Amino acid sequence: MRISPVKLLAAATICMVATACTGTSSSPGGGDETQASGPQTIKWLIEEPEDAAALQALKDHIATFEEESGHTVNVQTLPFENMRTILQTQLRSGEGPDVFNWGSGPDFGGALAEAGLVYDLTDAYEEHGWEVFDFAKERVTIDGKVYGIPGEMETIGIFYNKQIFEELGLEAPQSIDDLQRAAEQIESSGAIPIALGDKEGWEGGHYLSMALSSIIGSEGMEQLFNGEMSWDSPEVVQALDVWNDLHEEGYTSKSPTSVDYDTAIAQFYSGDAAMLPTGSWLVGEIDDNADFEAGYIPFPAPDGQGIFTGGLGSGPYVSATTQKRDAAIEFLDFLASDEHATWTVENLHTIPPVPLDTEALEVSPLFAQVLEDVAQFGQGGDFGHNIDVMVDAELNEAMYNGVQAIFTGQATPEEVAANLEAASGS
Amino acid sequence: MTQTLQTPATQPAEPVRRRKRRRTDVPEVTAKAQARLGIALVTPLLILTVVFLLFPLANALYYAFVDFNGLDPTPPWVGADNFTELAQDPDVWAALKNNVIWIVLGTIAPLAIGLVYAMLVWGIGRGGAFYRVMFFLPYVLPPVAVGVVWGWIYEPSRGWLNKALEAVGLDGLTRGWLGDPNTALYAVLATAIWATIGFVFVIFLSALRNVDVDIVDAALLDGANWLQRLRYIILPQIMPVFLMVTTITLIGGFAVFDIIFVMTGGGPADATEVLGTYAYSNAFQLNRISYGTALALVIMVLSIPFAVGLNRLQRRLSMQGTTA
Repeated sequence: MRISPVKLLAAATICMVATACTGTSSSPGGGDETQASGPQTIKWLIEEPEDAAALQALKDHIATFEEESGHTVNVQTLPFENMRTILQTQLRSGEGPDVFNWGSGPDFGGALAEAGLVYDLTDAYEEHGWEVFDFAKERVTIDGKVYGIPGEMETIGIFYNKQIFEELGLEAPQSIDDLQRAAEQIESSGAIPIALGDKEGWEGGHYLSMALSSIIGSEGMEQLFNGEMSWDSPEVVQALDVWNDLHEEGYTSKSPTSVDYDTAIAQFYSGDAAMLPTGSWLVGEIDDNADFEAGYIPFPAPDGQGIFTGGLGSGPYVSATTQKRDAAIEFLDFLASDEHATWTVENLHTIPPVPLDTEALEVSPLFAQVLEDVAQFGQGGDFGHNIDVMVDAELNEAMYNGVQAIFTGQATPEEVAANLEAASGS
Repeated sequence: MTQTLQTPATQPAEPVRRRKRRRTDVPEVTAKAQARLGIALVTPLLILTVVFLLFPLANALYYAFVDFNGLDPTPPWVGADNFTELAQDPDVWAALKNNVIWIVLGTIAPLAIGLVYAMLVWGIGRGGAFYRVMFFLPYVLPPVAVGVVWGWIYEPSRGWLNKALEAVGLDGLTRGWLGDPNTALYAVLATAIWATIGFVFVIFLSALRNVDVDIVDAALLDGANWLQRLRYIILPQIMPVFLMVTTITLIGGFAVFDIIFVMTGGGPADATEVLGTYAYSNAFQLNRISYGTALALVIMVLSIPFAVGLNRLQRRLSMQGTTA
């Protein structure tokens, strides 16, 4: 029987449209029979480092693994803001990276694990004896299964320019009142007291996290995430109010919602601003770029020094659909090794969540202080939480918009807190 | 003398149309060859249409009627829930309001300024090429680059806009242009207008070269002023082109995304959110792919009547122009 070309084309069109209507539903999985053996080329997707030299150093370091294992690691990078979309799409299509670095917590690795897109590493942990601090391991554990190796430990606090503080006869602030007095004096001297950039929005999550952590402490933060404390409680309003006051008094960069993260950092490096609220990941860059000695303190509490906000960076996961699982786990074993941990501390100025002897390391005084602080973090010290890795996207969006709305006068702290409570319910 | 109109009775009446040629007039082999050739010629376009138009459209329709979070391979069917929700979503209406502002100002301003520029350069002999290049240059720059550079210009402490205002004693007007909800949308819009004027200018200048200069001169002799000549002589002659440019800029107003995304990301606190950026943030930041897709379909549906209406008007005017 002959079928006319017109009918064939029509049939093909209908098939394509019908296929479209079924969605892309390739389910992750893949049996062991599909696993490749021998030397492999592993695709490793990571967030684009801010410093190109750091990426090259990492590639050079990975070369030692390639020489020892016979595998090749193809390092691919993506900007953080594009990572979520592209990673999810790639993993669902089955064409994604074999190994990828991604955040921990419910909105990051947790979501991928629940969708079955990452490989269960529980057995690999036992087999290879990977040592990770318990608190960090919990962040990548869902229903008793461990899905990833948690990324570097980070704290969020305030960097300050010791030179400006000394010139003005100021000490590092020990309370919120101290902070406001210091800011007033710095402002009178003509400098910007606090370099504040919130153009992108995500910075607002860090600002709220650090103020709130110091006001309600780590236990209070846990209560907040467990639903035992509401997001419109007076403490949350107070934390938002602290930033509102600092901004209204003129102690921050002019129009923070017009200032992006990099510009705020530049204001600090140039000496235009005396303080910079951000995370410990910036230590290496501060050492390289600032020609003054910097100090690092937690955001002050109303009646005391306050606590650092702690968090975890991105760590490696293995795709559930990779056909190079053995090679991927071999690579993870390298990334979880003491040698790699030491190398990252010395070269990338990041601190992996593993027990590490840091006494012999050659690091700057600022980084030595961060190492000391973070060591307490790993040993169960009192640390607050970075909100944005602990809550879902809906609440994050409300937080980012809310802090921006405070800086632009579009909403009061009470209104923002009410919106946070509403978003937490949704 | 009376003339009578006579119809020749003997001459058979002309058939109104030529009788349709019967298929039997063409040898069967030739007919098949023609059919195969026709299919071969149409197939590439058909494939492109299916792959790049019908397939994505069908896919989008499917995702608009399910609740897909970007991860679940079997999203639940929710019917028209996404469309019901967006009709009741106050953020959608706020974004639509910004789209309307963008469409009105972002269409009128480039058309007016581009036309004025074109009129000015129209009469220039020497140096015309220089102005054409200078005015058109912004249009060929990538929107991302334009957004980044203008972001520097608007920067509150070091941007030259505030520096210039300070230099002329207008310190009171300085502000964080992109961070102030009262100015952010208009600051981005001003950038977009700046980038679009070049395109409008070049098209209008080309159209002006076809204007009958004798009629313009005649109007001048009759005492018509500059505005009268523009309104009654020039504009009617370039109206099809004018409508074409209007259509392009107006539809661009519905679909605007890139420059807002680069310059403000829809902020501060959603002050510059338009339907395009709101669809993006829902789909890719909140993992609400289906809701974002429904929004994208609404953008398409909203823009179609304008595109069709303006296109028909343009075609009608073109026909009038050719038959006049």
